[in-house]
Amino acid sequence: MENPVFILSIPLIVIVILSLLKIAKKKRPNGKPWFRIEKVEDNE
Amino acid sequence: MNRHLSMRSGNPALQSSTFRNHMSAVSEGTMTLSGTVNKTGIGLLLIILSAGYTWGNPAMHGLAIPAGIIGFILALVTVFKPQFGHITVPIYAVVEGIFLGVISMIFEQMYPGIVIQAIFLTFGTLGALLLAYQSGLIKATENFKLGVVAATGGIAILYLINMVMGFFGSSVGVIHSNGMMGIAFSGFVVVIAALNLVLDFDFIEEGVEMGAPKYMEWYGAFGLLVTLIWLYLEILRLLAKLQSRR
Repeated sequence: MENPVFILSIPLIVIVILSLLKIAKKKRPNGKPWFRIEKVEDNE
Repeated sequence: MNRHLSMRSGNPALQSSTFRNHMSAVSEGTMTLSGTVNKTGIGLLLIILSAGYTWGNPAMHGLAIPAGIIGFILALVTVFKPQFGHITVPIYAVVEGIFLGVISMIFEQMYPGIVIQAIFLTFGTLGALLLAYQSGLIKATENFKLGVVAATGGIAILYLINMVMGFFGSSVGVIHSNGMMGIAFSGFVVVIAALNLVLDFDFIEEGVEMGAPKYMEWYGAFGLLVTLIWLYLEILRLLAKLQSRR
């Protein structure tokens, strides 16, 4: 066990990443997600 | 409201009947999330200041056991008389700070650097689980509560047996062992202590939704402080076991 803090931090980092992904996927009341990637049309 | 049935809360201080018993005294306002967060912050600040002062004053080290006993009595008073939470919880935080300051000092002398690691992991766990709860990644469902409460009860019984065995000069080996079984046990206890935080968040949310009286903010903060202190001590024990194997 070289660095126990690092090993014990791994599950916390995983929880944080999964939570952030869940928040990002959540739809707002207007039905649209927080962000989306779409093609920008000319003159838009 | 069924989502917040905290009858099965792992923390003995946090029961759903607690709110029902205090619903009549709402004349001074109702419990809010921001109020509970502020009071938890005050409690944590008092613990840190008190622990820091004890750390720097070796003369205070003899107060560890009396502080532990007074803390236990204050915890009981808070559980049975939450109306006095604005008095008992800050005093509880100060005496627990004295207790934690001495315990931390002892661990630090054995394993330098362990205390800051344990503090980092405790607050890291609090932050990660708060985010997981807010995002809905972890939900306090009935089965979840049942599992956490059963595991917490099992750990409590094992610790009680260990304490009784201690009177006869013996102990439950797995609690103190730094072998693989001992480390696995400590890891399990840390996970259960961390999951108790989710039950605490759920309890506070339920109190706010039910319009519990204002003084229940201190009670919600008290529940969180108890869990955080337990989590810190278990992380300290787990890190000590891991470092003793080096």
